[in-house]
Amino acid sequence: MRTPRTTSPVSVTGLVVKAVLLGVVAAIALWAAFPLIEARAWVGLAILLVTTAGISYLYLSRRHVPAKYLVPGTLLLLAFQVFPVLYTVSTAFTNFGDGHRGSKQDAIESIQTGSVRQVPDSAEYTLSIATTGDPATGPLVFLLRDPATDQLFVGDPDGLSPLPAEDVTVGLDGRIREAAGYTILSVGQAGARSQEITELAVPTDRGAILASGLSRAYEGRALRAYDPGCDCIVDADTGQRWYADPEQGSFVAETGEELVPGWRVNVGWRNFTRVLTDDRVSGPFLSTLMWNFAFAFGSVFCSFALGVFIALVLHSDRLRGRTIYRMMLVLPYAMPAFAMLLVWRDMFNTDFGLINRLFGWDVDWLGTPWTARLSVILVNTWLGYPYMFLITLGALQAIPRELTEAARIDGAGPWHAFRRVTLPLLLVALTPLLIASFAYNFNNFNAVFLVTGGGPFPADSPLAGATDLLITYTYRLAFGGSGAQYGFAAAVSVYIFLIVALVSAITFRRTRQQEEVFR
Amino acid sequence: MRTRKDAAMRAGTATGMALVLALGMAACGGDDDSDNPPETPAATGELVIWGDVNRAEVLNQFKAQIEADLGVTVTIEEIAEDQQTTFVTAAQQGAGPDVMIGAHDWIGNLVQNGTIDPVQLTEDQLAGFPQVAIDAVTFEGQTYGVPYALENLALIRNTDLAPEAPATVEELVATGQQLQDDGEVSEILCLQVGDQGDTYHIYPWYTSGGGYLFGTTPDGGWDPSDLGVGTDESKAAFERIRELGEAGVGALKRSISGDNAIPMFAEGECAFLVSGPWAVNDIKTAGINYDISPVPPFEDGEPAQPFVGAQVFFVASGGENKAVAQEFVVNYLTSPELAVALYEIEPRPPALTAALQQVQGEDPDLAKFLAAAENGVPMPSIPEMAAIWGPFGTAEAAIVGGADVDEAVDAAAEAISEQIG
Amino acid sequence: MSGARLAWWREVGWRHIVAVLAIGFALFPIVFVVSAAINPLGTLSSTGIVPTGASGDNFVELLTDTSFVRWFVNSMLIASVASAAAVFISVLAAYVFSRMRFRGRRAGMLALLLIQMFPQFLAIVTLFLMFTTITDYWPAIGFNTPTGLILLYLGGALGVNTWLTKGFLDTIPKEIDESATVDGASHAQVFFRIMLPLVTPILAVTALLVFIATINEFLIANVFLTRDSSKTLTVGMYGLIAGQRNANFGIFAAGTLLTAIPTVLVFQFLQRYIVHGLTAGAVKG
Repeated sequence: MRTPRTTSPVSVTGLVVKAVLLGVVAAIALWAAFPLIEARAWVGLAILLVTTAGISYLYLSRRHVPAKYLVPGTLLLLAFQVFPVLYTVSTAFTNFGDGHRGSKQDAIESIQTGSVRQVPDSAEYTLSIATTGDPATGPLVFLLRDPATDQLFVGDPDGLSPLPAEDVTVGLDGRIREAAGYTILSVGQAGARSQEITELAVPTDRGAILASGLSRAYEGRALRAYDPGCDCIVDADTGQRWYADPEQGSFVAETGEELVPGWRVNVGWRNFTRVLTDDRVSGPFLSTLMWNFAFAFGSVFCSFALGVFIALVLHSDRLRGRTIYRMMLVLPYAMPAFAMLLVWRDMFNTDFGLINRLFGWDVDWLGTPWTARLSVILVNTWLGYPYMFLITLGALQAIPRELTEAARIDGAGPWHAFRRVTLPLLLVALTPLLIASFAYNFNNFNAVFLVTGGGPFPADSPLAGATDLLITYTYRLAFGGSGAQYGFAAAVSVYIFLIVALVSAITFRRTRQQEEVFR
Repeated sequence: MRTRKDAAMRAGTATGMALVLALGMAACGGDDDSDNPPETPAATGELVIWGDVNRAEVLNQFKAQIEADLGVTVTIEEIAEDQQTTFVTAAQQGAGPDVMIGAHDWIGNLVQNGTIDPVQLTEDQLAGFPQVAIDAVTFEGQTYGVPYALENLALIRNTDLAPEAPATVEELVATGQQLQDDGEVSEILCLQVGDQGDTYHIYPWYTSGGGYLFGTTPDGGWDPSDLGVGTDESKAAFERIRELGEAGVGALKRSISGDNAIPMFAEGECAFLVSGPWAVNDIKTAGINYDISPVPPFEDGEPAQPFVGAQVFFVASGGENKAVAQEFVVNYLTSPELAVALYEIEPRPPALTAALQQVQGEDPDLAKFLAAAENGVPMPSIPEMAAIWGPFGTAEAAIVGGADVDEAVDAAAEAISEQIG
Repeated sequence: MSGARLAWWREVGWRHIVAVLAIGFALFPIVFVVSAAINPLGTLSSTGIVPTGASGDNFVELLTDTSFVRWFVNSMLIASVASAAAVFISVLAAYVFSRMRFRGRRAGMLALLLIQMFPQFLAIVTLFLMFTTITDYWPAIGFNTPTGLILLYLGGALGVNTWLTKGFLDTIPKEIDESATVDGASHAQVFFRIMLPLVTPILAVTALLVFIATINEFLIANVFLTRDSSKTLTVGMYGLIAGQRNANFGIFAAGTLLTAIPTVLVFQFLQRYIVHGLTAGAVKG
């Protein structure tokens, strides 16, 4: 339509502010660059440089005015919202989840470490960590004593050798306290070299002597080892082999037995097709979706209606005590939501709940499908109306009172004045918020999970409850089995997102004409 | 802008200087003589421990002592919620702690994610714990972590209302009904069920009725391929639970949940409460005279087996100070001093026998809870257990509410076996 | 006399009745929390709304035994900074969306709306991964720092709030800023000198909304803040009831009530801007 003149005058204050702000940006960039250079993270550094250069160019140039206003928020949005979402979506193409989190190398290491056992009938030693050099940097050795036989040894990466008893003092705790030619590390010094101690293995005929903490050592042996030749894990005792399966991301025996942990692999569209083909997912999908829409719509509608109503009621100059009223009415919003959800759940209790007691009813609120649905909408209305109340309060200020008054002078009743003048104007300002609120409630996990847990569940189908939203239902599917399945959950989320986004986009388009009318 | 840049440069240099200084100090610290008293800040090693809020609080009071004994700097961090997931996620990213405190039934999942290491306990150290505690931390033949506290369900009764401990469920119900008829109490029993059921609390009676969750493998582990839910035994057990429910005598009710079971007992609304050591504080505060006995079995039933849960210190695989972590967990925690101290701050029955003996003189409840654990079994720590809670609880709630047993149990069995896959 | 009274009822009186009823609905569950907070047994007892006793023990214990004060200060700091920054960022964008026409405007606005519809709890794992890296490079904005958490929250500064502010800006006649532009003011001058003062009510509303949302945010803060000294109110207080099977509920309820106080104060403070921010003269220009 129209762009502001790009030849507008430049004030001195403006210039100074601009210079200072750009200076701050440069300073931050410099501060951020040091660790990146140190870590040789060149990609990160490149991104940093490009971003900084971009910002400097943008604000020094006199063009791209809208971008100047949008960049601060957009950068944060990209970094902390867009990137996480995209990354999450990318996990939908993997088997990421419990048992398949790390790399193959991690899995191999974990399997090998996890299979280390003490060699049967081997000695247990008391351990002192020592060095022949400097306590902080010298090569480490284990000074070992077998309390059963009083034999003394020194162990290093080359092996075990006896230690002459005459050069050694043994402490009260049975550990070697002094040894000629060695500096014994204090616990603090040893603690500082924890990593090296863990990695030090003194080879023996049957395995290796390993530290168990800082004061004991044992002779251990890894029962399972990775063999790169066959790309498999071999059990030293039984000879059993588990072959790497790059499709599953785990080591699988011929019997089908899998070793844990596995690793993360790409599975293509498998998670997406599973949503469509798995009966457990697609079976109750339609009924859950219907209720999900009803819940989101009902919550938004009720809280909006209540919020607007209360705001209008209080929108009168002659009403005394408005300040107090307003404050009280915002209280539900000021309390931590999760606490209040738990309180509401208790109030719905059949035998002891406040609601039934107060009214002398005997309603099994959360036990039958329709009362449970009513309950969660009621709770959500309670939680949500102060928000609507607040934004209506703000928006009402923007509607000139002359308009409503004019309508009433024309003979319209208060209801008509509201319908014809106030509400349309409110809706113009608030429709996007209503859409956002709808989307939020569409995925309002806590409101359902903390109050009903998705229940009540029909006795013949314990997985899909009457108040389950898609998100609570998915949560149970993805996290209820033998561990979390993030990949699968992400795939379901993508579907949910597509549904909400589609509905919202359509609604949004329909408001377009409305908006232009008031432009 | 120039000055800004210079300032930033100076700041950067300053940071660098600070770093060098810190390193230098660390190096000097390392040069200290080993016979220095451990109180001096010679510690250069570090130990990071994560726990839930209570554990972290308890350990924090012990921080100075641990630092002095181990000669390392100890950092204790608390995770308010989802400790297990947070730990697994953090460990996988290499941002986890050296030692994690958690429940023993996490072990299966922690192992399948490669986040904890087995520990090597000596015969002597192993002998210091009751068998059930060692069983709890044993997974696929390896010991993962050191248990420090045990907890299990017992029957807590109001001795003013019910002086005698009932020997059977039938006796309990009869007494409860009598008290109810007399107007002394409003409920026969306080055992939390809730709208979603509660597997943990119903489990003793499920086993007494003959049910089981998983079969056992020859080496004593749990066998996920043998699912006990859906068998005739499980249905028989649920029939008995149904008789106790809303369609039967009304001893079990969905309206009694984790939110109100203990308060109701504390307010004298019921004479019997099935709960654990965590309930005792409230009951004492309320001034109720109480006694603790094992959860009774059905008259002609199997023993009632409560789940035994252990609080465990785990050594994280990805920790940067693994040797210190092992020293702390394996050699430090297996001595009774810390266990007793932990007990003093938070009274849970210590897992270490020696510690228990030291403290049970002052607190007779401990021995009673322990006696109630005699029939107990460690809660299964296999990852497949995660699939049990939801469907089993749903079936329980439905059956307590009067639903048909066959239908509910079959549906639960199907849901569980599908989840396990 | 009775005519005047009738008129009063028609004009004002009924409003009082409705307001009182609405407050009844609003406070009904909160009374429950008050009851738990002064109940010395300190349990979430559902057996009655009247506590079995009354004492301030829970408050004393809350303030002495927990780091409540510390959490409180952290929350205030984070919420104040985050809301001020978020309001500024979103009003910048709203101004552009309302007053300028450029390619990608509608798409941009729609994208702002849509990006927030992605189920958040899954992204936690990713955020964790990101901040593990960030903590390695820049500990000053990493885990357990208020700065990092504020930055993270500011990622959502554009979005619903931008829409809210933009909707409000749309109702301000364009003639105001057009005449200023004709008078030779730059776009920055129009924005800072003319638009900002006009939109105070909605800035106040947005600030309040962000403030409350930040104070109540739990999901991200729980993962982000693990040191007791860096925790916010929700994380700290959730810890009071988590895992302890309702033993701490009295203290928790006391904390819940105290948490509401700053929000109410902020609301009290902003109320006059919300209600009286627009002067008729300014609108008419």
